[in-house]
Amino acid sequence: MPRTTFIRSLLLTTLLVVSAVTCLGQSTTGTVTMSATVSKFVEINSGGAVTLTGNSGGGVTTDGVTNSPLAVAINLGELGPSNTNSFVTAQVPLKLRSNAAYVLSMAATVTSSGTTASRITAADVGFGLGTVSRTGLGVNSGSDTNATSGDPTLAANGSVNGTTGRYEFTAVRSNLSAFSSATTALSGPIIMNAVPRSNANGLTVPAFFAVKPQFFENGTTTISVTFTVTAP
Amino acid sequence: MRLRQFTFSLFIALILIAAAQTISAQALDISSGGQPTITGAVGGSVTGSALVTDDLLVTVNFGEVSPLNTNSIVKVIVPIALRSNQPYQIAVSVSGLNNGNPQALQAADIGFGLQNIRKLGGAGQDCNQSTHIIRSPFNNDPALNAIVGGTGRVTYSSSLANISGSTIILSGPVLSKNNSIKRQQSDGYVFDAIFTLTPQFFSAGVSSVTLIFSIAPGPNVPC
Repeated sequence: MPRTTFIRSLLLTTLLVVSAVTCLGQSTTGTVTMSATVSKFVEINSGGAVTLTGNSGGGVTTDGVTNSPLAVAINLGELGPSNTNSFVTAQVPLKLRSNAAYVLSMAATVTSSGTTASRITAADVGFGLGTVSRTGLGVNSGSDTNATSGDPTLAANGSVNGTTGRYEFTAVRSNLSAFSSATTALSGPIIMNAVPRSNANGLTVPAFFAVKPQFFENGTTTISVTFTVTAP
Repeated sequence: MRLRQFTFSLFIALILIAAAQTISAQALDISSGGQPTITGAVGGSVTGSALVTDDLLVTVNFGEVSPLNTNSIVKVIVPIALRSNQPYQIAVSVSGLNNGNPQALQAADIGFGLQNIRKLGGAGQDCNQSTHIIRSPFNNDPALNAIVGGTGRVTYSSSLANISGSTIILSGPVLSKNNSIKRQQSDGYVFDAIFTLTPQFFSAGVSSVTLIFSIAPGPNVPC
């Protein structure tokens, strides 16, 4: 082999060796990139046992259990004049939790076996949300907006109609006729601070339902109410 | 300069370069230590090479960490391999997590600890005069040390909040027995970097963070 060819071959081989060593080089750094997603989260659960007062007969068929899905059933009992109490009232505690601003809406249907204007209608069922409570570890302080008029049995929220003689819940969103479709009942800012779901605290608010015993047309009436909480 | 002289000089230079690279090979090296894993995630994932000869390049997606994820904790284990022919130290730096809302995900919400230092592929330098030291407070499995703090928020014995600038998390004596010119399947050490995140009522949003692990000459401890 000519000397120049040998040198060139050696040079090429050396270049390849250097290149190979370089390609096999180590690194003194490494990278770990992390990401996480927090979606808006809202939930509604029972805030505890139902309180039924002023009833004649009836009772709580399915009671609320704190922190369990809200699914209560109540028999309001007799709503005719034989019930001499001023109101039959059911108080249903609600518990809301969210990591974002929330809106609690409600939709109600009232169906009666009666056929006349004297049957029980949605307007005869008083409704309102009571005092909102944001207490406990991990609950964010904030100001909520109650779109109802509160306890419907308050004197300011209803009266006997001077013309018809029928008792009426007259205040803003104080009876179920205002909730024939999903309508806002309560709204507010983020409820929970950054705490795990196992933290059982939250926003609690009582939902009041009231009926004034009157000379309603006899029959049976079914009232169905659905609460929905969203994070717009 | 004549062509022959130039060629000879270049040849000598290349020989020296090759020799230098060989001599310095595996002086300090950090790489993947194996397949990373993730548990407790909803919609999450972790990607990284299972090959210990590949660079450390891991992408972790913790997935959903609002209460929609009903698992108690999301845990990620990232094995990291180390090789050196001299005492070493491992440092880590963090960037990218800058949520202004204190109720959003913060560095303290991501637990971070080191565990399970072991020989890479069953082979590595045995040193009986020095040990590999996980620096405080990182010597723990954050999944086993998550507690609810005074505010109701979950806290860890160590987290990304314990990293300030380039923070040394591990150091020790020489790691490798051989002075290989390339990454070997064995002959070094590997440890598990553990990351945890407890689903909570964090403020909504997407967060990301980047960690850079680096290896450098460490305290001159005997082997």
